Amino acid sequence: MAIKGRTGRRITALCLGLLLAVQSPFGGYFSDTQSVSGVYAANIPAGYSKIAQNQEFNLYMCEDDLSLIVEDKESGATMSSAITYDDGKNNNTWLGAMKSAVVLTFINGNDDSKQADLVNDEVRKTITSTANGFRAELLWNKYSFGLTLEVELTDEGLTAYIADESIVENSDNYRIGTIAIYPFMGNSYLDEKEGYLLVPDGNGALIYLDDKEGRFSVGYSEMIYGKDIGFEDSSVTSLLWDRYEMVTDAEKIIAPVYGIAHTDDGIAYLAIVEEGDERATIEAHPNGVSVDYNRAYAKFIERKLYTQPTSNNSTSGSLHLAESDRSHSDLRIRFLFLSGDKANYAGMANAYREYLLQNGLLEIQEDDYQTRVDFLGTEREKWVIGTSTVVMTTTDDIRDIYDDLASAGVTDIFSVYKGWQKGGLYDIPITSYKADPGIGGTSSLTALIKDAESRGISFYLYNNALWINPDEQNASFNVVKQINKRRYSFDTYKDVYETMMYLTPARSKTVLNRFINSYTAKGIDHLCVAGISDTVFSYSYSGVNYSRYECSEDYRALVGEVNERAGLVLEHPFAYLWKDTEAFLDMPMYTSSYIVEDESVPFLSIVLKGVMPVYSEYINFEANKNEFFLKLVETGTYPSFYITRESSSNLINTNSCDIYSSEYDVYRDMIISYTEELKAFNEEVAGARILRHEIMDSGVTVVGYDNGKTVYLNYTDTQQTVNGVTIEAMSYEVL
Amino acid sequence: MKRRVSRLKKWIWVLAACLAVLTMVSDIKNTLADAPYKTYTIDGYGSVTETQTAYLPYRTITKIGEEALVGPTDFTLLDDGTMYILDSGNRRVVVSDSNAELIMTFGEGELVGPRGMYVTRDHICYIADRDAKKILVYDGQGQQIASYTKPLEPMYGETQDFLPIKIVANNSGTMYVICESNTNGIVQISPVGNGTFLGYFGTNATNADLMTILWRAVLTDQQRAKMVGNIPATPDNMAIDEKGLLYTVTRGEGDDSLKWLNIAGTNMIEPDSHDEVPAAVAVGNHDNVFVASQMGYIYEYNNEGELLFVFGGSDDGQQRIGLSTKIEAIQVGTDDKIYVLDSDKAQIQVFEPTEFTEHLHEALYLFSKGRYAESKAPLSEVLRMNNLFDYANMAMGRALYKEGDYEAALEYAKLAKDFDSYSDAFWEIRNNWLKRHLGTIIILLLVIAIGGKVIGLLDKKYGILNVPRSWIDRIKSYRLVKEVLYDFHFVRHPIHGCYEIKRHNVVSVASANILMAVFILFFIINKYFCGFLLKTVREGSYDVFSDIGMIVIVLGLVVGCNYLMCTINDGEGKFKAVYCSFIYSMGPYLILIPFIFMLSHVVTYNEVFFIRFAYFCMAVWIAVLIFISIKEINNYSVQKTFKIIFLTLFTILIVCLLTFIIYVLWAQVFDFISSLVGEVVYKIGN
Repeated sequence: MAIKGRTGRRITALCLGLLLAVQSPFGGYFSDTQSVSGVYAANIPAGYSKIAQNQEFNLYMCEDDLSLIVEDKESGATMSSAITYDDGKNNNTWLGAMKSAVVLTFINGNDDSKQADLVNDEVRKTITSTANGFRAELLWNKYSFGLTLEVELTDEGLTAYIADESIVENSDNYRIGTIAIYPFMGNSYLDEKEGYLLVPDGNGALIYLDDKEGRFSVGYSEMIYGKDIGFEDSSVTSLLWDRYEMVTDAEKIIAPVYGIAHTDDGIAYLAIVEEGDERATIEAHPNGVSVDYNRAYAKFIERKLYTQPTSNNSTSGSLHLAESDRSHSDLRIRFLFLSGDKANYAGMANAYREYLLQNGLLEIQEDDYQTRVDFLGTEREKWVIGTSTVVMTTTDDIRDIYDDLASAGVTDIFSVYKGWQKGGLYDIPITSYKADPGIGGTSSLTALIKDAESRGISFYLYNNALWINPDEQNASFNVVKQINKRRYSFDTYKDVYETMMYLTPARSKTVLNRFINSYTAKGIDHLCVAGISDTVFSYSYSGVNYSRYECSEDYRALVGEVNERAGLVLEHPFAYLWKDTEAFLDMPMYTSSYIVEDESVPFLSIVLKGVMPVYSEYINFEANKNEFFLKLVETGTYPSFYITRESSSNLINTNSCDIYSSEYDVYRDMIISYTEELKAFNEEVAGARILRHEIMDSGVTVVGYDNGKTVYLNYTDTQQTVNGVTIEAMSYEVL
Repeated sequence: MKRRVSRLKKWIWVLAACLAVLTMVSDIKNTLADAPYKTYTIDGYGSVTETQTAYLPYRTITKIGEEALVGPTDFTLLDDGTMYILDSGNRRVVVSDSNAELIMTFGEGELVGPRGMYVTRDHICYIADRDAKKILVYDGQGQQIASYTKPLEPMYGETQDFLPIKIVANNSGTMYVICESNTNGIVQISPVGNGTFLGYFGTNATNADLMTILWRAVLTDQQRAKMVGNIPATPDNMAIDEKGLLYTVTRGEGDDSLKWLNIAGTNMIEPDSHDEVPAAVAVGNHDNVFVASQMGYIYEYNNEGELLFVFGGSDDGQQRIGLSTKIEAIQVGTDDKIYVLDSDKAQIQVFEPTEFTEHLHEALYLFSKGRYAESKAPLSEVLRMNNLFDYANMAMGRALYKEGDYEAALEYAKLAKDFDSYSDAFWEIRNNWLKRHLGTIIILLLVIAIGGKVIGLLDKKYGILNVPRSWIDRIKSYRLVKEVLYDFHFVRHPIHGCYEIKRHNVVSVASANILMAVFILFFIINKYFCGFLLKTVREGSYDVFSDIGMIVIVLGLVVGCNYLMCTINDGEGKFKAVYCSFIYSMGPYLILIPFIFMLSHVVTYNEVFFIRFAYFCMAVWIAVLIFISIKEINNYSVQKTFKIIFLTLFTILIVCLLTFIIYVLWAQVFDFISSLVGEVVYKIGN
């Protein structure tokens, strides 16, 4: 019966949809035709009882498997954490995962794939209801491990929380591997719902809830804040001509969020992994990936198997071991439910922004338009013995460029100076404020910084506080070892310095502080920190293992400290560092292009526009310049250029040989014209935030700001008209 | 009520918005994506450099209508966008329109193990069915119209099996077939008389190194037949261009992997790079050619074999759009989109050229049509984005040359290392200069000649040059100067010179060192500042210290080893004499190089012979001097001198070998010590 009802509902919705589509292709904006609300009658299955409510939503819970249903009070639309329809193709293990509030995998010997859940296993449950939800102590009898799940619905959303102390493991044979909380929250079967999964890949990506017809065998599965190098095996990448790296790295997850929107029901949630995010993966699997249900969730990693080589020779034997201790952190996911016209990715981004601002995780920064013009000072190339300097841009060159730009009317400039330090760009870490003689020496650099300041140019010195170059500096101590106690190094696939290593967080702190001391002693205090801003890892040092939680905690403290002492900008910062940066550098515009992803959306840009200045990745290396320009307008991102005075051909024998286009003379006109146009645009939306974002089927993107401005962008090769607004091919209109 | 209406509005708004989004899914996907791969190009010096993304993943075709593909191995894209896909796993042909909607399927029940396919413009479909050992021909309606089996002509080879795997046909219907395990070449079959074997075509050459030739001389015929490497490689795939010329790709053939064969079967292209496992080749719309590697790399060359781009990559489970698992075929659409068939993924990945590549293609097209002036605009766009893009610099140089802007052409030719254009442009510039200044030059020469004469006469009469002459004489009277200048005597009278050096100490080590320093100076100046056409190093790259090191090491080795050999072979020469005579034998270099150097700045390729000849004379002269020096200094016979020279060379070889061995051993020791220290440090650290 249930199936029949569902099918009927689907057909009705579809017919209505088709009718609408035929009537008005751009009906998304202004149309007031038929009623569809009757279709979405509230329908809470038996076994569920209401346990809490807030202004907008009711929360129902089923005691058997602790699954939840969230109901929109106004529309009656629901989202469930358990599947409501079984297609009969799923085995018991899958059914357990589809219904249980918590799904664990545990490690038994060398096997880390076994599942423990609330349906298939005998679990001792002690459920107590609390003011806004419940608290459930769970103990798996057979495996002797347990945890306490606390669920609460307040006006700030629905939280699911597992305290670190509540996780107990009483057996040596069964130890917890991963924990997923409400993995099927908001699930849907095949294409029964319209909408999408939001994944935090790059700037943001959508996976539509259409029938994938079994095309994908894997979904989106990425570790929050990037892969853990503490566990990574040194994998052999296939290289072109045995030398050139071809495949680019996938984008790291910057913000620990995911979401599901059922746009036909007008209900959606954005899930924020509040605690435990450093060691969790985001999983977003559309139908066809193992089962025919669309789902998105976070999976917390408590313990992992790793490979311990038993000799220096990599071909000889190795052991598979489980980590001796699990990682310790509370686990908390906050589901922000959204309804009506907020139940889409723009609504999610807005909700996330409000959440960050309210919780002090983001601060409103001064946000005047500036063009980012970065400079490369010196690099090194191989020489008879050792290396020799390749000077690209001296301090005098920079002053000349500023003069030249000023004469063309460009004065709103933000600059990061890379490769200024003695020894060139890759003589890292930088421990003191000493400039390379090639760029004019320390005193002329100091003079330049003061000069730039007086011109109103934001001038930052670049400092990678994570990498150490073992060819230039002593890397015997204070470098990161993997969990298997092997020193970690990675290939640069370049000729001069072939490998790099990571400093331990403690060492990063020492060198960064030492540098700032000598830097601020000169009365200057603008710093761009990279490396530690977008990396976090498990590691071992002096026989002690450190988790990603400790690593990120150290970086958080360090960055906070640096921010107190100096004006700080961070390159590509993770969400937990956003409150300590004056600007966001290197915002990705696109995604990693995973085949499961259907659409790239500017999720992070919507979150940050109007809160802090966001700068793009370097335009130099973009092949589609016109399209990229539109992308800058769409996201309200400020342009970035990587500039050298000398021709980039001089870099061909250096580690920066991938900078194939950077000469100032080539980019001068582009800097000027981009500045003119983007400054004018950004002044119209200065301080405003993006409320709405639509991608129309005509290829036009519409962005609505909270100051009433609407931007229409036409990415197609033909003129388009939307809502009476005509937009030329490959251009935009602001109304 | 009002509230209800507003709620309704909201719903409809949301519903329609999501419909808008969903409509787009089924249509063409948004292309706003980043490529998961890098793009590289090669410059004139052979350096590989990264460049802007040339092609972006555009769409992925996984199904034709509702039909899924299983292990497709080949496909043809026609100009109207129709695709014929050889769905080998399902033993059929799937025909699709440009929107991947199904038109028809055919061949079910008739195909056994099809591997290759070619479709003409008139929709005549040729299928190479390996397992059926047949070639099948279908018309545009999917009706079989012909089939061909193994040619019966004795020339084909009676024992030779017929296992067709790839096929193309020219306008007259002549088929070119690649057969598995047939190493004679591409089988050429005419449709006349139900299949006439026309012969083999485009056979690859076998590689014969010295060792192979030696072996062949001793082995019997049977043994020779079994030799690996004695069998030419069968091409792996081919494509046919509008003129009916074939492109073939063969794995493991080095830079001969890609061949462009004319009617006679001669290769007309010399690519500057190659792939180890090329899988397919396709002809582009602008005299360009694409090679797809099984590894997922896609190469684009111009018609001279210069690599424009290489991009793509293999998917090791990352599941990112644009990476491939096993490429089987590649086609290029009329809109320059690249279609790549991946048999493992059973899909066709379409790549779209970026703005950067579109500019480049426009320039390629205009350039190939001889519209040089027009090609400048897109070329400058390319150069604005990447001013080091080699092809663009070259084309710009040539375009400017055709326009008569020789100065600018010279600059671009220099950037692109395009020596021919540089030479031509320089010839024009020099010609113009000569035309303009010929009169002045003649007058100047006359003035100098007459002036010289006059001064000579005056000097004779009044001795006006006595003062400078006395200065010169005074300088010449310094011992060191005299010693250095003795080289002029030495190069003309080496036998006497050697005697003087040996017996009368007319030169010193100091003077030899000075000459040595001058030699190094000249060498460096000539190497880095000679005319562009004769330059062997990259413009703007200097490695002075390794040059000096090299000269010193070579000289040290030669002199040292020679001295060692001479002392144990009753040579009379002392080390000083040996050293000085060697250095003084370099005299011709010191005398000729300044002239060569100056000449190198004014010659073009037309006159480069003079410089080559000068170098040759210099080399012979130096060789003779060295020979005489060895002979005279040590008082050897001619025969003995030859012996000593041979021994010296042998000693040098031994010394190099020894140094290498010592280096390797030392590296081992160093490694051992460093790992020992590392371990100790590690233990202490823990």
